[in-house]
Amino acid sequence: MSTFGRGNSDRLAEPSQIPALIDHLFRVESGKLVAVLTRIFGPHQLELAEDVVQDTLLEAMQTWHYKGIPQNPGAWLYTVAKNKSLNILRRDHYRKKFDADARHSAKTFSQELPDLDHFFSAEEIKDDLLRMMFVCCHPAISPDSQVSLILKTLCGFSIPEIAHAFLSTEENIHKRLVRARKKIREANLRFEMPGGDVLQQRLDAVLQAIYLLFNEGYSASSGDQLIRFELCEEAIRLAELLAGHPGIGNRSNVFALEALMLFNTSRFHARLDSLGKILSMAEQDRSLWNKSLIQKGIYYISKIENPETISVYHILAAISCHHCSSPDFASTDWKSILELYNNLILIDGSPVARLNRAIALSRVQGAPAALEELDKIKDDSFMASYYLFFATQAELFLETGQLERALGSYARAIELAPLRMEKELLEKKMSRFDASISGT
Amino acid sequence: MQEYLLLIRTEGNPWEMLSPEQLQKHVEKAADYIGRLVREEKLKGAQPLDWEGKIISNTAGTWKDGPYNESKEVIAGYFLVLAKDIEEATQLARANPIFEDGLKARIEVRPVKTVEGINR
Repeated sequence: MSTFGRGNSDRLAEPSQIPALIDHLFRVESGKLVAVLTRIFGPHQLELAEDVVQDTLLEAMQTWHYKGIPQNPGAWLYTVAKNKSLNILRRDHYRKKFDADARHSAKTFSQELPDLDHFFSAEEIKDDLLRMMFVCCHPAISPDSQVSLILKTLCGFSIPEIAHAFLSTEENIHKRLVRARKKIREANLRFEMPGGDVLQQRLDAVLQAIYLLFNEGYSASSGDQLIRFELCEEAIRLAELLAGHPGIGNRSNVFALEALMLFNTSRFHARLDSLGKILSMAEQDRSLWNKSLIQKGIYYISKIENPETISVYHILAAISCHHCSSPDFASTDWKSILELYNNLILIDGSPVARLNRAIALSRVQGAPAALEELDKIKDDSFMASYYLFFATQAELFLETGQLERALGSYARAIELAPLRMEKELLEKKMSRFDASISGT
Repeated sequence: MQEYLLLIRTEGNPWEMLSPEQLQKHVEKAADYIGRLVREEKLKGAQPLDWEGKIISNTAGTWKDGPYNESKEVIAGYFLVLAKDIEEATQLARANPIFEDGLKARIEVRPVKTVEGINR
């Protein structure tokens, strides 16, 4: 076998054991490297960190294209990133530009190679990822921009990929990122976790951003593709980082959010039928629900001990847990779920929460009671153009035998539904009751 | 079997705008390509070349040097392969994943000269 001359660091494996790259390795390593380099260069040089990481991956592409994948791809990437960082630190004699930590380590770099090795240890990297999360969620940055920044820096998504996920343009996302980086520079942020009360506030902001990211993936605001599994996976991964770190204070909300996301994600692949049409919870084949994700969710629920304050995440996680633990739609513990919703609307009295409560109410007290509830919120400006309000109303009208009103509500729901798939689902339901609707 | 030099020519870095995820997919394709060549015992060598360098010439007794070609195209690297004829060598070149997903590149396929009784 020809093993044409290679040094130790890039030895090609025998063809039978060519290392397969783990899924999303480049993305994950990109996130870690941006965090480490932001620590080394300082948050005001975030863009530089991002550029160096992209250069590192390109270097990997250019080299591995001819030499194959090295035995330890991660280590290879770290070595290259470290060398590039050293060159940059060395080149800039005006050391004021760089972070105190790195300057201290690099203080003798005019004579000998500074040692950045300790920056690249697993422990440091984990801490840097968390610090990066807090930087991205600084209050000066808008929530949408926070999510874009998280996707770009921590999750290794490119601007086109982010634009695609948010159904926005590359130009918009680019502008958001430019503004966010500017805010970070203006705020003179240090690359460290906030302390005390500020930590709890910021943690709330971080969780909000993660939840926003999750919902982008989970729900239907992205064009014709209902499901963005990868965004959900990223959200879960980020929350897992938080959950594993005892130093961030009260983690009760983190556990609850993680459980919520795991439960919802477990149902992901059951949500579409073989033709790609949406299935409601009642119609889903529960054998397709991912049991290991449900188990993980239950594990996180069990870690919540006497929370000081119940948050929206706790309640939603508990509701989702009920659904996931139920063998079928009929045996769902709607009484408990209604109780949970009763608590939810005390914290979150939004019309959407009340709409979801009405659905649970219909299961426990019947359709008429639920219809009354819907009447109470129908004048809310958001509800008046929310397709799910009318879809729910239509189903309830059917249950009480009010066919005319049901058709009226279905028609309104179809009009308002933002995605083709949702319109189709509603049209399918409606066509069962109205012979004049031909299947389109 | 004869040696052929496959010169990879690109204008700049064709992978520049790719995301980490996309780069990984290309890397995996490249690994498969090389793995196949090694398994079939057709790969004699391959190296990437650094972008910067020099071109020197001596005309009318003076040295001239500069880093650039007249064109924007640069040789990015090479593969030295074994093939039974130029058709096979060209097929091997075509299979290079640098051509995938609309990336722009050219590969020049040149037989390494053999002279009977000397290096053959």
